[in-house]
Amino acid sequence: MIDRIFAGTLLLITLAYGFIAFTLIKAPFQYDPIGPEGWPQILAIVAVICLIMLLIRPDVDSLDTDRPTWIKLASASAMLLAYAELYEPLGFIIATALFATLMARLLGAAWGRSAAFGITIGVAGYLVCAGLMGLNLPAGPLPKI
Amino acid sequence: MQEVFASLGTGFGVALAPFNIMLVLIGCFAGTLIGALPGIGPINGVAILLPIAYGLGLPPESALILLAGIYYGAEYGGRISSILLNVPGDAGAVMTTLDGNPMAKRGEAGRALSLSAIASFVGGTFAVILMSLFGPALARFAVTFSPSDYVALMVFAFASLASLVGKNPWKTLMGALIGLMLATMGIDGNTGVPRFTFGVPDLLAGIDFLIVVIGLFGMAELFHLVEQQVTGKLQTLPVDNSFVRMADLARTKWTILRASIIGFFIGILPGTGASVASAVAYGAEKRAAGADTSEFGKGDMRGLAAPEAANNAAASGAMVPMLTLGIPGSGTTAILLGALMLFNVQPGPLLFTQHPEIAWGLIASMYVGNVALLIINLPLVGLFARMLTIPQHYLTPLIAILAFIGVYSIVGNPFDLFLIILLGMFGWLLRKMEFPLAPVILGFVLGGLFEDNLRRALSISAGDWEILVESWKSLALYGLAVLAVVLPATLSYLNKRRARDRAPT
Repeated sequence: MIDRIFAGTLLLITLAYGFIAFTLIKAPFQYDPIGPEGWPQILAIVAVICLIMLLIRPDVDSLDTDRPTWIKLASASAMLLAYAELYEPLGFIIATALFATLMARLLGAAWGRSAAFGITIGVAGYLVCAGLMGLNLPAGPLPKI
Repeated sequence: MQEVFASLGTGFGVALAPFNIMLVLIGCFAGTLIGALPGIGPINGVAILLPIAYGLGLPPESALILLAGIYYGAEYGGRISSILLNVPGDAGAVMTTLDGNPMAKRGEAGRALSLSAIASFVGGTFAVILMSLFGPALARFAVTFSPSDYVALMVFAFASLASLVGKNPWKTLMGALIGLMLATMGIDGNTGVPRFTFGVPDLLAGIDFLIVVIGLFGMAELFHLVEQQVTGKLQTLPVDNSFVRMADLARTKWTILRASIIGFFIGILPGTGASVASAVAYGAEKRAAGADTSEFGKGDMRGLAAPEAANNAAASGAMVPMLTLGIPGSGTTAILLGALMLFNVQPGPLLFTQHPEIAWGLIASMYVGNVALLIINLPLVGLFARMLTIPQHYLTPLIAILAFIGVYSIVGNPFDLFLIILLGMFGWLLRKMEFPLAPVILGFVLGGLFEDNLRRALSISAGDWEILVESWKSLALYGLAVLAVVLPATLSYLNKRRARDRAPT
């Protein structure tokens, strides 16, 4: 069932893609016979055939993921989004320390060890990547190296 | 022949520069480590570390030497977790668990690890030698390809991909289509018309290759690890002092040679990599053993040596079409190909003549790397084995941190961070739906090339589609494509029928 839902969603996206390819993309003048719209049109047609085959013959019944796992995945996603959001305002060291601590805790490490891990990885990561390798990382409120 | 040696000389000149030797060693070491960690295979390792390597501002040949080192290093390392934990590091190492783990269980872990290291070394080196001999010839031939031949080549690549990778060919094809469709976003190079950009300026240049790779592989892997997270610690078998004996090598020498040949040629086929090669080599070895198969699956040395030699040979074999044709032979080489494009180096048949320092430097570095890996893997195996006990709850956040560093350090745009998270969720979902991910990246990398060649071919013929089937080269490639689809299907049908006939009715 879930297979059909997924294939159906992809089909809708592909139809939208095909619609754009067949109606909206146009070159004011073109040098080659198929132009900018031809290739997406071909792709859309093949993809629609492919998805119809998948709709007719699905093979994955359910995601087979239980409730606690969903909760864990949702929390991990939330943490990642928060990490991305806070990356620049808090700077690499603080954001990473927070993220690594909470993530390790979520995955089953004890609080103390998680915090030690988080702080180590935040500070060491910054020193190695920004200091040693010269990569561009946000410093946030802390002084830049 | 002389030309090959001269070019190899150039290559070694690049590969033996102290800085590049250091990169080979770092790459091989990091690769072995990544391969050894359960769950993180070569493709994820290369995906996560690619943007960092890019961000370091290395010259293209050095960056490629580093990334390739990580790639085949990970193929070496994959065997460690297979043997000691019975958990394959990636799909290519699955067959290694069958006989490797039983050997470790009966107290011969050291022997299994050293034998497989030697098998890997022979497989890898054998493939590099074949690559140096035949690669340039193939490239010279490929220079004569017209745009329409290239179209045929792509069709062949995707056909062999669909029939050999994954369980459901429609899903593999759809995966490739998703990649191809993603590649059409952005401004069309020929006419300057924006496609599928929805007026978002960030999308005008298309979706960045690095972001797709990091999202679909690195971040999706993270979600996968969170989901699969094992609560109990995995039990690592101890590495003992047993070591491979001369008699073991004498017994497995033909096995290793056969498996290396099988691995190399399967690796060359577009789209098929180490996992297919090791499975085929294992099956072939079992058949070759004739009546004497009772030990297979219980710790037979031949069953350990064959897949290990094959998957390393395939890993190098997959580089051949990438370097000579610009068509990657596997998901990981697709990423390496994308890396070349990031450095504005157009992969393809002209690479050998236009950028000999890259093509030959890479090949020469693989000789060095294989020797280095053998040396690293024999005495240091205990160190890597200890790495296996690092708990998953520290490794998983590390993936996200590395991915963020990589993506942010390139352009410093926080929008990209959200994009990789979204792509990661999408990749995870695709994996749950049993869509193979390698075709997506292959489609994404080849999309532009496929379209350009089709349009070029049709421009030459002023819109006449017959040009696509005019030359004998294209016809031969279409023939091979049909064969690639029909042959495996027929074989599996015959196998099923034979099994049914044999079963008592």
